[in-house]
Amino acid sequence: MALTVDEKSLKHGVLALVLTLVEVIQEALERQALRRMEGGDLTEEELERLGDALLELDEALEEIKEDHGITTSVADLHRGLDEVVDDVVDKLVNPARWAEEAGR
Amino acid sequence: MTQPRPPMKPTRDPRVTLDDLVEVLLNKGAVLHLDLIVAVADIPLIGVSLRAAIAGMETMLEYGMLNQWDESTRAWAARSAGRRDLELRAGEALVTRMPGGHLLEEGVYTGWRPGGVHLTDQRLVVLRRDPREVLFEAGVRDLRTVQLETETTVGGEQRTRLRVATLDGRTALLSAADPHGLHEALSSLNPALTALPPAPEGTPSGALEGHLWYQEPRRSGPLWRGGKGRLEPTGLVWKSPLDARPGLLVVPDDILGARVEPGRSPGGDGRLVVLETASHGPVTLAAEEPERWAAALEAMGAPNRAGTAHPPTAPSPPA
Repeated sequence: MALTVDEKSLKHGVLALVLTLVEVIQEALERQALRRMEGGDLTEEELERLGDALLELDEALEEIKEDHGITTSVADLHRGLDEVVDDVVDKLVNPARWAEEAGR
Repeated sequence: MTQPRPPMKPTRDPRVTLDDLVEVLLNKGAVLHLDLIVAVADIPLIGVSLRAAIAGMETMLEYGMLNQWDESTRAWAARSAGRRDLELRAGEALVTRMPGGHLLEEGVYTGWRPGGVHLTDQRLVVLRRDPREVLFEAGVRDLRTVQLETETTVGGEQRTRLRVATLDGRTALLSAADPHGLHEALSSLNPALTALPPAPEGTPSGALEGHLWYQEPRRSGPLWRGGKGRLEPTGLVWKSPLDARPGLLVVPDDILGARVEPGRSPGGDGRLVVLETASHGPVTLAAEEPERWAAALEAMGAPNRAGTAHPPTAPSPPA
């Protein structure tokens, strides 16, 4: 599928793209933070600092999106990327799809 | 195309998302080892040896990689974490805190250093957390004046800064996320800051600044260019935002007079400001308030007209 970057303005589109990528990185950081927290070798104080920092990052991102009015665009773009990944993974794990594709 | 499209609706729930993919990659980790030799006639000439690994830190540690660095980073953070925030004295209370900065003007280097602006009921402090340094500190009682100043940044934006002067003669320029709020908070803490009359500096009387069009003479014919004009006691300066240096500099001694003439102006109001100079001849300008510019320029040129060999040319009647 094609990713549709909003054509209203280039700035809008590029900003939405950048924020989507930052969101992906943020999500990865949050999940790794969870793993480290569960890993159990972080001190109480480190846990608290990490939580606070991630919360601040989340708030800052939301604020930037609100400021520029691109919350919807970022959500759409993120969903679009998810669908691309889903398609690719689906094809990789089900070689039968290749045949379907070729037969079409 | 012109109509905004309704937001995309999900047609199905993706079973695998990009975030999941990244998580799997980081949890499992990926390692790349590449050895490569480029040879000509069986003689190795160029060698490439790549070692790359990406993984979540937890996975990295499991495999015994980057252990040392992880420990030293956390140890360093633990040492410095305890004194990250501003220590308050006994009985001192924080009034407001916001991101900001301090302009370092000591020595040869001038530059903004970002930090948190802390205002307590006793002190005004700009504190940088990492590496920790107090960039600026002054007692609220030691401040003489606090003024808001507008300054044009490198990017051409107008930003409001806070000019702080202390009783012992120091001055500093601070930036803050909310300069007006900080100024208000400061003046409510120390009413003496506002009781003093504002310093005489600022816009001197007679100074005029604003958007100004300049008809630049070029070999291919005159060209209207937009820019910033500024009329100071030292003369008229015009600079385009695209140029590094002013495109027009006229000293007061050079100004013979100015008048408003009808003509085609880029602003579209049909009035031009024609400035008569001794060295360049007439210079054509256009402004939003042509009368103000013409009057100010005319006033500046007045001393030159008395008894000079260049009487101002009479305004030619429009054709």
